[in-house]
Amino acid sequence: MTNETQETLDLTEQEGSEATSPTTEAPAAEQMGSNGLAPGVIETKNMDVFYGDFKAVHDVSLKFQFNEISALIGPSGCGKSTVLRSLNRMNDLIPTARTTGEVMYHGANIYADGVDPVAVRRQIGMVFQKPNPFPKTIYQNILWGAKINGFKGSKSEADDLVENALQQAAIWDEVKDKLQESGLSLSGGQQQRLCIARAIATQPDVVLMDEPCSSLDPIATLRIEELMLELKKRYSIIIVTHNMQQAARVSDRTAFFNVELNTKGQRTGELIEFSPTDQLFTSPKEKATEDYITGRFG
Amino acid sequence: MSVNAPERLIETYFPTDEEYDRHLGKRTRRGFLVRSLFLLALIIAVVALVTLLYTIINDSFGLVAIVNQQEPEDIVASLGHDSEETGLGDLSHDELVSILQGGVSTNVGRRLERDQRFYEDRLVFESEAVFAEICSSAEPPAGCDAAPRDQASVLQLVQERIVQPDIIDVEELVPSLTSPEEFQQRVEQIFINSPERFGEYTFDQVQFEWRAWLNPTFVRTPASGTPETAGIRTAVLGSFWIVVITVLFAVPVGVGAAVYLEEFARPSRLNDFVQTNINNLAGVPSIVYGMLGLAILVRALEPLTSGRVFGVENANGRTLISAGITLALLTLPVVIIASQEALKAVPNSLRQAGMGLGATKWQTVRSQVLPVAVPGILTGVILAVARAIGETAPLILVGAASFFTADPTGPFSRYTALPIQIFQWTSLPQVEWKHLAAAASLFLLIMLLILNAGAVILRNRYSRRPS
Repeated sequence: MTNETQETLDLTEQEGSEATSPTTEAPAAEQMGSNGLAPGVIETKNMDVFYGDFKAVHDVSLKFQFNEISALIGPSGCGKSTVLRSLNRMNDLIPTARTTGEVMYHGANIYADGVDPVAVRRQIGMVFQKPNPFPKTIYQNILWGAKINGFKGSKSEADDLVENALQQAAIWDEVKDKLQESGLSLSGGQQQRLCIARAIATQPDVVLMDEPCSSLDPIATLRIEELMLELKKRYSIIIVTHNMQQAARVSDRTAFFNVELNTKGQRTGELIEFSPTDQLFTSPKEKATEDYITGRFG
Repeated sequence: MSVNAPERLIETYFPTDEEYDRHLGKRTRRGFLVRSLFLLALIIAVVALVTLLYTIINDSFGLVAIVNQQEPEDIVASLGHDSEETGLGDLSHDELVSILQGGVSTNVGRRLERDQRFYEDRLVFESEAVFAEICSSAEPPAGCDAAPRDQASVLQLVQERIVQPDIIDVEELVPSLTSPEEFQQRVEQIFINSPERFGEYTFDQVQFEWRAWLNPTFVRTPASGTPETAGIRTAVLGSFWIVVITVLFAVPVGVGAAVYLEEFARPSRLNDFVQTNINNLAGVPSIVYGMLGLAILVRALEPLTSGRVFGVENANGRTLISAGITLALLTLPVVIIASQEALKAVPNSLRQAGMGLGATKWQTVRSQVLPVAVPGILTGVILAVARAIGETAPLILVGAASFFTADPTGPFSRYTALPIQIFQWTSLPQVEWKHLAAAASLFLLIMLLILNAGAVILRNRYSRRPS
């Protein structure tokens, strides 16, 4: 399958309809690649996120590009995970969370009235910090996401979909003989790759990863990183990481967030710098970025 | 022996080695004391349980002293069989009917025949003409349409009407085992002291036999006015119907409410209020639910609960459905709270995973959250059913009959239930009733045990299955 991106997405469409009638028309922006002139796959404009009265992140404007890995780094509590979760409206699950400003996905604001967050998440998938496979078989773990989004294929098409997703996630060889075993029987690194396979089985456009390697050992981490480099050919990936080396190794662009103490003594996250990764790590524009990447704090 | 570092700089606010050792001893002793108290608590619980079981089992089995109006051996011998080889139960249908014919008055025989005929094609006590006339009347008796009696049914009639066993005295299990001769002496003493009590019987006619008060006949026969022939069939069927109605009502409503509260409701004052009330309802005395059931189900909703709306002829709302729904309301808080706890225990990461794939809330709950919560929900349902099956007070209020012999035929039947039957029997003076009540209690316990075991097996299967 080619990367399915839609120029104009009707996000209010009923769930599942995209899966059954995919639009294969490639937008013009995709051909332009990441030359900076494209509108970007996701673009935040003056985004603030609040938890109740508390402002967690302040005025974030970012532009994520097609077929790139963008990393969000910064010290603990700087709101990078909050920003990530705002990109597919996962923050809506927290009753007190509130987002202002705009998050444009292919030019449409996903926080606009009438946009169903379910349709947003169908296009913008997510991989979490802790591997969280469903307590079901490996096969069902992969197929469920497709099914709830309206997959109507035959048994053999379902088999193909499962194999394809597992192969893309580079775990097929390890699990092909035990597809009917529980997803929980795998090791931590395998579970995380299963979760990645599960996320891409619904053929999303963007994959968000929230510190996907933080609970894994270095070898498993390496495998996930190789996988990300492979996956970026088909998907746009945005990753939150605590590990600066990881950001430097895999990402094309890096956003550095920092914590600011406001007048009320609350710690609010702010975007300090967003540059191509090699530039950010070799010649950062901001003093705070330099302090952070050279290990002077955080 | 003390374990101390040889030479070490220790901050002054820590105790010296000597103080530390003394203090450690104190800490260990305190732990030991608490452990002993907990063990004591466990022992108290076990002793209470063992005492309960002992009482019930002690009363459910034991020796009985019986006098038969006619000895079964004599009856068998009078038909020309060898009484050593043939028992009453081995006789044929025809032979048993002939015994009845010779033993009961024509009037009694006619009544029996009108209840249920002895043969499909002919009558024994009644003349064809009279029977046909009765059957064509406005309210024909059951015997006109019912299938004829089988051998077992006739055998029971022979036992009741001809053999007529009369229990003189009964003994509990433990003394029956340890000193049976004392029981014999006691029965003999009764005959010596008050011979007039037994009419023409003498002590020589008394037979001592072992009896399990809980036996298949006891479970199969309906209640009766005499302890020799009383059973729990009606009560068991009533309890079964009530539990089924309770589960059918309480589980969907309870689980539904729990899912709404845990998964869909946003935190609000109103929610807290509802939650607090549910927790309180779990502690409301059951008699209050009985009053609720009486006022709402039996009285206010009478057209519905009596089944009149559905075309069932019934005098009032004191039916199985009223009892079942009353107990469902009673168990609802338990089901809701247990289901809520089970849902709370499902890791949030599963919900996030589901939602992150583009599932709706309900898809996530249905496919990912509920299956994981099922074992916990089942535990709550088991607790609820156990409570419903043993509940007595509300049933008295919503109109369980204390003496009722007809099998329930549907949710709009009148009924009685096991705990009601036990309660009624324990209030009767004759000592046999005590043993019958114990046997019924034992049956109730066994039913509970089977129910629980079934649910545990179900739960284990659910929690082991990967899908």
